Amino acid sequence: MSWIILNPPTIKAELQQPFAEQDFAYCQALSEALLKAPQSRDFPDLIALGFWLRQANLKPLLAPYQHSQHFIRQPLGLVFHSAPANVDSLFVYSGILSLLCGNKNVIRLSSRSGGSTAVLIEKIRALAELFPAQNARFQLVQCSYDSAELKALISTVNGRVLWGSDQAIQAQRQLTMPAHARELSFGHKFSLCLVGAEAVLATNHEQLQQLVQLFYRDQLTFAQQGCSSAKAVLWLGEAAQVQQAQQRFWPALTELIEHKQPLNSSEQYQALATAQQLIMSSEQQLMLTQQHSISRVAVNTLEPVFIDQHQGCGLFLELQLSDLTQLNPMLTQAHQTLTVWGVEPGLLKNWLTTAHTGIDRVMPVGQALSFSPDWDGVNLIEQFSRKVVSTF
Amino acid sequence: MLIEHEPYSLNAAEKQPLLLAELNALTLHHQQHCSPYQHLVKAQWPAFVTANQSAQLPYLAVRLFKQLKLQSVPDAEVFKVLYSSGTTGTPSRIVLDSATAAIQSKILVKIMQHWLGKARLPMLIIDHPGVIKDRSNFSARGAGIQGLSFMGRNHCYALNDDMSINFEALEQFCQQFGDGPVFVFGFTFMVWQFFIQQLKQQQKTISLPQAVLLHSGGWKKLQDQAVDNSTFKQQVLTQTGISKVHNFYGMVEQVGAIFVECEQGHLHCPSYADVLVRTPGSWQTAAVGEEGVLQLISTLPRSYPGHSLLSEDRAVLLGEDNCPCGRPGKYFHILGRLPQAEARGCSDTFFPSAKERTTP
Repeated sequence: MSWIILNPPTIKAELQQPFAEQDFAYCQALSEALLKAPQSRDFPDLIALGFWLRQANLKPLLAPYQHSQHFIRQPLGLVFHSAPANVDSLFVYSGILSLLCGNKNVIRLSSRSGGSTAVLIEKIRALAELFPAQNARFQLVQCSYDSAELKALISTVNGRVLWGSDQAIQAQRQLTMPAHARELSFGHKFSLCLVGAEAVLATNHEQLQQLVQLFYRDQLTFAQQGCSSAKAVLWLGEAAQVQQAQQRFWPALTELIEHKQPLNSSEQYQALATAQQLIMSSEQQLMLTQQHSISRVAVNTLEPVFIDQHQGCGLFLELQLSDLTQLNPMLTQAHQTLTVWGVEPGLLKNWLTTAHTGIDRVMPVGQALSFSPDWDGVNLIEQFSRKVVSTF
Repeated sequence: MLIEHEPYSLNAAEKQPLLLAELNALTLHHQQHCSPYQHLVKAQWPAFVTANQSAQLPYLAVRLFKQLKLQSVPDAEVFKVLYSSGTTGTPSRIVLDSATAAIQSKILVKIMQHWLGKARLPMLIIDHPGVIKDRSNFSARGAGIQGLSFMGRNHCYALNDDMSINFEALEQFCQQFGDGPVFVFGFTFMVWQFFIQQLKQQQKTISLPQAVLLHSGGWKKLQDQAVDNSTFKQQVLTQTGISKVHNFYGMVEQVGAIFVECEQGHLHCPSYADVLVRTPGSWQTAAVGEEGVLQLISTLPRSYPGHSLLSEDRAVLLGEDNCPCGRPGKYFHILGRLPQAEARGCSDTFFPSAKERTTP
């Protein structure tokens, strides 16, 4: 494939002071364009992105990173971002943070990107005239991994950000970048949802409805395809209690699913086929419960094979934990977000200090998909900029 | 045993008790000899002992044969392994012992003889000879052609290696055998694109008035060109004079008990096989006339747990024992494959291109 620039620059890209007003204005304009676009209604990820891009959100988010008397913040330089094909708008988050850090950015989009990417591209192109400097520093390209232009670009970057499957990341690592350049890689991840059984049993109808709504938002907005959407539900409590809590929780969720129908027939097939695959390849005797289009597989431990095999689409592994520390030996670097509901914060914090491997992020249920500058245990602002320490 | 019966000889009352007895025995056999299968039955159908009707039988998502090597025979008894490429590019692996392979061939012959007659007919193959020569890259297409070749004699390949028509061979074949019954076989898309369309473009016709054309391999590419079954048949008749045209449906995961289209355009279950349609999500059986996902049942697979499979094809059951063609058994339509689940996963940025599925 050739090298296609989707929003050609009209002026030469120049590095900028971090957190420049004009860059915030660009984000604000993109935000307005997305929130106003009628097509956004079909893509919840664009609405979420539109809200995130508002100046009122971004300025407070970045305030803690302003210069201090001990250092001056400078951009990293030229940053290459490789977007995944899944949660289409993900590339914008890291790309925009890098733009706000003052960098020049080139963003490779997958040629298989879905519908919301097309909307984004259109909006970004439309801003080129009003924001030529920002447009030149936010270049969207489509190319194959072996294109000569990509190879030349990578040989001059100051940093690169690789999103996607482990295979895709390894493939892109074949391209050599300068010795000093930084790499951030965000590969395949597996997220978890921790629910306190006792708290579920103590809910009234309204509280339970709220919980399932939040759970639905995290897990089913993208058919469990976002890396921070949970694929396993961890129930904290004694076995009998957990069983009761499950009997309260799942019918409420499946009722909501019946109403909203978030999964198409292919996804439903995918969930069933994956459940069968997990069952047939596991050493444990697992148990499957199917309720409407939700498949639940009861497990005794989180096996490493689950991380690769689990394809989401309405399939949940369920694990009962009497004590959170039981989880520690099961955690690997692939375990990313832990969303939590109904667990006492003190208990949670004490346990988290003991979990040395895995878990990059702990959020309340309902906020799995919210983006933060800390991603997979890495602070993007610090990575996209240089701290020039000055003792004067 | 059902395999002793003729392909289209049993009505539901006669067939179901025999079918159930054999399927229950097969289910037990696979539970005892394939531990992953036993794991699945216990996990998904914990109360299962025997099925009182075929809808109660455990079923396996067909893609599991791509992901796992499933067998119910010890390695020492493996006679051969069939491979097919599927939509994900990963091949299915079907483990056959000699008994299962023999029964598959026997049943395939029995069904084919119903449509072709008992005598071996001169056979015109709508493909190029290279498709079976390259053993290292043996395709499902090659396997299908080879599997059916012994149904015919005096084999003639209608195409050259570059997919052009080998008119010299074709004309010689027509001259020699055109007046009598002949067997024409090819994959649906090959027949359409490289034979019928080429004849039409070159304004040539051939005359095989007594021929039977059997074709298989899926309609996806033809649907993309807005070619339906009746257009296909009409064009075949115009260019070749063949009026007996039968599509058939089957998959490498259940070789042998294939589903052949009758004169009414309906795919029919032979005595050794059955189908159910299930509604995605609830996976309950759908009523006649209701669209769903096709479950395929066959009494032949003994060396691998493939006697009850949930395919990835959408289908609609049309009826049972009441097709105007007169053949008893269930009959149905295939509506196409389930669309590929939309690529939204973090893990699929780098994905091999989808391949067209071929079926013998």
